[in-house]
Amino acid sequence: MFRYDFDWSVLWQPPYGEWLLQGILTTLEISALAWVIALVLGCVAGAMRTVPSAVTRTIGAAYVEFFKNVPLLVWMFFWYFGAPQFLPLAVQDWLNRHGVAFVAAVVALGIYHGARFAEVIRAGIQSVPQGQFEAALSTGLGVAEAYRLILIPIALRLIIPPGTNETLNLLKNSSLALTISVAEITFQTRQIEAYTARGFEAITAGTLIYLVLCLVLAGVMSRVEKAVAIPGLIVRGSGPEG
Amino acid sequence: MALDLSVIWRNLPFLIEQGLLGIGAFGGGTLALAVPTIVLATIVGVFVALARLSRLAVFRVPATAYVQLIRGVPLVMVVFWFWIFIPIAAGVTIPTYSVALVAFVTFEAAYIGEIIRAGIQSVPRGQVEAARATALGYRDTMRFVVLPQAFRNMLPSLVTQFVILFKDTSLASIIGYMDLTKAAQTVNNREFRPFELYLFIAVVYFVFAYGLSLSARRLERRMAAGRRTLATAAFRSAGA
Amino acid sequence: MSRRVTRTVAAGLGAVVLLLAGALPAFAQATLEKINQSGTFVVGTRTGSPPFGFIDRNQNWVGFGVDLARLVHAAIEKRLGKTIKFELKETTPATRIPLITSGQVDLIAETMTITRSRMEQVDFGPVYFVTGAQFLVKKGSPITGVKSAAGKRVAVQQGSTNERILREQYPNIQLVVFPDQPAAFAALVQGRVDAYVNDGVQLAGLKAKAPNPGDWVITGEPISYEPYGLAMRENDSDFRDLVAFTLMEAIENGEYRKLYEKWMGEKGDVPYPLSETAETFLRMQVMPR
Repeated sequence: MFRYDFDWSVLWQPPYGEWLLQGILTTLEISALAWVIALVLGCVAGAMRTVPSAVTRTIGAAYVEFFKNVPLLVWMFFWYFGAPQFLPLAVQDWLNRHGVAFVAAVVALGIYHGARFAEVIRAGIQSVPQGQFEAALSTGLGVAEAYRLILIPIALRLIIPPGTNETLNLLKNSSLALTISVAEITFQTRQIEAYTARGFEAITAGTLIYLVLCLVLAGVMSRVEKAVAIPGLIVRGSGPEG
Repeated sequence: MALDLSVIWRNLPFLIEQGLLGIGAFGGGTLALAVPTIVLATIVGVFVALARLSRLAVFRVPATAYVQLIRGVPLVMVVFWFWIFIPIAAGVTIPTYSVALVAFVTFEAAYIGEIIRAGIQSVPRGQVEAARATALGYRDTMRFVVLPQAFRNMLPSLVTQFVILFKDTSLASIIGYMDLTKAAQTVNNREFRPFELYLFIAVVYFVFAYGLSLSARRLERRMAAGRRTLATAAFRSAGA
Repeated sequence: MSRRVTRTVAAGLGAVVLLLAGALPAFAQATLEKINQSGTFVVGTRTGSPPFGFIDRNQNWVGFGVDLARLVHAAIEKRLGKTIKFELKETTPATRIPLITSGQVDLIAETMTITRSRMEQVDFGPVYFVTGAQFLVKKGSPITGVKSAAGKRVAVQQGSTNERILREQYPNIQLVVFPDQPAAFAALVQGRVDAYVNDGVQLAGLKAKAPNPGDWVITGEPISYEPYGLAMRENDSDFRDLVAFTLMEAIENGEYRKLYEKWMGEKGDVPYPLSETAETFLRMQVMPR
């Protein structure tokens, strides 16, 4: 029958406590770097999908649809095992010596979520009144400048609630990096379990860490939303579930 | 490094039959897991949504806690709960397929529940009041008035979630379930052609996921058109 | 909400829980009793560890460990006097102990090293194989053992004895930890890591099964002693006797030798000759009747 004596102290005993902290740091590092990539790609691809040029729209759509419709896990394996072989040998060698798994995880996560951000940003741009764009053009701005200076800045503020959701998804999805040897939070909980046979405690700790990270991030984003709100535009409420 | 596409050709039956469909010695199959998960998660999701909207705290509080908990953790963690945590805690044996099914249903039902809840809330309050005024009970109001309309409103987000769920099933490979991803890993283990193999299964996943979202978009457009005609008719009859 | 609705919701949720729980037979009994009741003997093994447990070219799940488990299976059928289904489930170093203690599998028949700390969590049958950890590298690699591996990237499996030894005794080696062997070896093949450390016989297995075996070199003095055992749940002496006796009889009547030749003999899948010392050691484990 089931007998289990809890021993929560494994979570802070050396070196396990330190492993957990390192895991948190690694998760935050991958997520932050991937987030920057995703935001840039998302803005570019999202904007591309709203311009008049059909070719540009198609390129944007192709990127979004292809990367969005394939599991992130497959992308992780692809970027780690498959893709680097096409780089010049010197670059491969350099990457291999400088944390190729970490880089592959950031690239996989960034490009995948870039496609998902693009959808959010496209919706944001489309919700900016057409008049804004026309007004921008009539003041002598080019299309690219109108997007860069007017449309995208407004859109980014409008999309904070769905953008927060996507950001949280990105943070949670970074856990898949464990499959390619990146020592993030989930990896460390597995590692602690392997060393101590304390699966129960380790998984509970991992679960709580993610919950806290998500709550904090959602809280920060809702503050950001209030801080950058454009006066006169309706701001959607965003609690922790926003 | 030259591409070698024959590796795909040589292993096509295994990848498709075993990995995608689950026909073969290993059970498994991406579709064999994804389809039942979609059905079950939607059924559970309806109850989650009703519980979330319930006036009774007995239903509302646990449902809310469940949704918030699930939405705050990665799917991989939930898979580990059911794979290791629950069997230890409850002292039960769970076959790999059931672990995957239960984990995915538990995870996805929270998201689907939220979509359904938003759909129900999008139905104007007046509809409910009108239904109640015609002496319909809660259940009939839900069944005949609210849920059909809600379903139409939430269909796009629902299908988007189904696509996500379909892709999420690739995580079952982590616990040894022989899905498309695991099949590709197994083949790669012998052939060492990661670029070709992972790109190939990426295309297979894409065909299904994109196909699903395309059909959803078409449905959405048709329904939007239907609603416009409906609105016009309502406007005309109101005007008359 | 009316009481009727309350009941509907409760019934719905309850039905779903029951539906999901229906797939979960409770286990709280001895292994043989559990097997007798379920009619299935579930064995945990590897999918990528030739020659112990792997998926071959014809997509069959086979190996030396699988064959040993089949001997146990035959003994179980004889003991219970009925046909029992033989089922394989994948285990990895990081998952096998939880999977056996929680009853997901009944026997672990793979490359599991008997260690004292593992003995506190599971029970082992007699030692059925002896090996030691070495390095697998690309031909021409400067790595020839632990000394030359300093500062290099070395792949290991999460939860393996080798991971622990390298982490604790050779801190200047850069460990790259993977969830399982296929990922670790794929990383070596693609050049993401400089070497892969695992038990010598498993490296021989990977080398033999690689598209070009000549590209790979197994190197270095064994850095560890890895005696393999079949593992089962603790404190189930009836089942442990059955497993132990099966193995002793197989060693005694030549069945073990036959299987060894099939997998690791000169003409076997992974040539890895049984040393005289190892054979003597195996024979000495066979207790008199």
